[in-house]
Amino acid sequence: MKEPPFHKLTPRAIRVWQWSNSIRSLFFFIIPVVYAAIFGMDGFHKWIVVSLAVIVFIAWLLSIFLMPYLSWKNWRYAIDENEIDLKRGVIFKTRTLIPLSRVQHVDTRQGPLLGSYDLASVTISTAATTHEIPALDEVLADRVRQQISTYARLAEEDV
Amino acid sequence: MSDFKRQHPVAALSRAFGLIRGNIVTIIVFLFVGAQSESFSFLWWTLGGFAFLLIVGFANWWRFLYKVEDGLIHIKSGIFVRKNLYLTKDRIQVIDITAGIIQRIFGLVQLDIQTAGASSRAASIEAITRDRAEAINRLLRRKREDSGEEDNDGAEFEIEDDIKQTISLPNKELLIAASTSGSFGIALSVIGTVFSQIEPLISESQFYDYLYSILPSQTDTMFYIALIAGFIVFAWLLSFFGTLFNYGNFSLEIKEKEIVISRGIFEKKRSTVPFNRIQAIHISEGIIRQPLGYASIHLESAAGYGDDRGTGSILFFPLIKRKRILSLLDEVLPDYQKELAALKPPNRSLRRYIFRSTFLVTAVTAGVWWWFDLNVLMWIFPILAIIWGWLKYNDTALGWGDDILVLQSRNLSKSTAYIKKKRVQDASISQSPFQRYRNLCSVQVYVASGDRGKSFNVRDVELEDGLTVLEQIRIEGVNTTIDESLESETERQVIQLPGWA
Repeated sequence: MKEPPFHKLTPRAIRVWQWSNSIRSLFFFIIPVVYAAIFGMDGFHKWIVVSLAVIVFIAWLLSIFLMPYLSWKNWRYAIDENEIDLKRGVIFKTRTLIPLSRVQHVDTRQGPLLGSYDLASVTISTAATTHEIPALDEVLADRVRQQISTYARLAEEDV
Repeated sequence: MSDFKRQHPVAALSRAFGLIRGNIVTIIVFLFVGAQSESFSFLWWTLGGFAFLLIVGFANWWRFLYKVEDGLIHIKSGIFVRKNLYLTKDRIQVIDITAGIIQRIFGLVQLDIQTAGASSRAASIEAITRDRAEAINRLLRRKREDSGEEDNDGAEFEIEDDIKQTISLPNKELLIAASTSGSFGIALSVIGTVFSQIEPLISESQFYDYLYSILPSQTDTMFYIALIAGFIVFAWLLSFFGTLFNYGNFSLEIKEKEIVISRGIFEKKRSTVPFNRIQAIHISEGIIRQPLGYASIHLESAAGYGDDRGTGSILFFPLIKRKRILSLLDEVLPDYQKELAALKPPNRSLRRYIFRSTFLVTAVTAGVWWWFDLNVLMWIFPILAIIWGWLKYNDTALGWGDDILVLQSRNLSKSTAYIKKKRVQDASISQSPFQRYRNLCSVQVYVASGDRGKSFNVRDVELEDGLTVLEQIRIEGVNTTIDESLESETERQVIQLPGWA
């Protein structure tokens, strides 16, 4: 299969993911807390609570210091006049092909976190699915959106 | 027709019943909570609730206005928040005139207007007289055919009711469809939910004692077995009659540009599917129906022509002999290539199929067997799971023709999907670490279906085949013909689809 010129995301994406993961993964600390609330901390249960807490803490560290880097390393996107090609996934690797003639609309989105790093994400919707290229430089995101919508108009067909 | 009109007042009633039907579970729970309270009696709760719904229905009716003018329908609705809906005739895809139970009692009809937008809901006028519905239909439809902007060849001029062929479901097959319907499980869960709600009431009464005395059982075990058997029979009857009423009077009308599917004994349902909106054909052979040689056929259609939930899955034919599928499809959808060669997953993925379907069952069985010291017969479940895994492997295939993709797979029922390549919205291949090691991949293809999409998958095929599928979708986008080099090499195991002949 012919390989189109793939692009990487901005390295600043790693920073954004570190922040968002550090908050999101905090929720896993609920597991040992709930366990302690139900079974108490006596004897045997104390060890389970502690080991759960340690596991969650390690997972939290990994989700901050390892996963963002690996996701960034594995993310690739390619756009040309015929299709959008997305490659992603650290453990489960997925490759998705979206013919441009199926693209219904393209958005750029920017939350406060992405905004503070001057990043934006590009969302591509077809009649069936929605895909996202996360964390591009905002100028680049706008250009990508422009590019996709121009190509999509050229490739226009009915559903 | 150029000023705003209300619907027939019966719409208030039909809306109230619609609300009841839509919230039936909530209402039942509510009623039983209410029944426990002392201050209000059960009767008051019921009457009050019904009065409330009638008021809501009435308000809805009062605030719903429609106007047809210059090929444009304008609907104002909403009790507090006013919503204005404008539909122009060239956006309107389908106008369906149907009649539910309430409409039929009063000799009225319901008019549904559907547009092409992927997310736009259908506009629906719930109760009007048939004459007026026909008038609206004429006003919104006639002109479009005159201008003929839908078809570029322009030469053909079709008459509204040009039915080329009508196919109906024989009674024998209707009965088989009803008795093997998959809604059995759903019926069982509904009964379970209702029963868990009313169980406290029953156990206080003498009902159990009564049952205990009439059932021919001597022990508690026997009693429970009889009770469970009773439940199953009841659920089966429910699903039997449910299917019978839903799919009775089934008929399929083939027209020049569209298919009209109508069904239902008490409540008539009609779906109109224009040929150019069909996204995929999907044939499903249920686990009970397959050994009997029967299957059902679904269509995936863009925009919500399917059910109220906004999926575009339409039952095209409820039950058909496998041998007759090809001739039926050839007649109705001749532009789909149905017979083609397909590739099976390689031998090395068999173990993955078996492992996937077996390991959970085996773990649970082992655990239960160990702790509760049950009969050795329990180990039949893992053995069944192995067979199931093998069946799944055996029924998985991935094929492609000039303009078509075929994905065959099995969960409980065996499903064969025919998808035009140009209808594919996106295609993905994915690999887990183990698949990467074995050079396998899973393929997922999305087509548009109603408001959302529908995906078809095959698992653990050769990575190379997955890449070929992607490449074909890519080439389809470029609008060139397929390279000869993509034709599959011959040393691979090729099966002939669909294999029903």
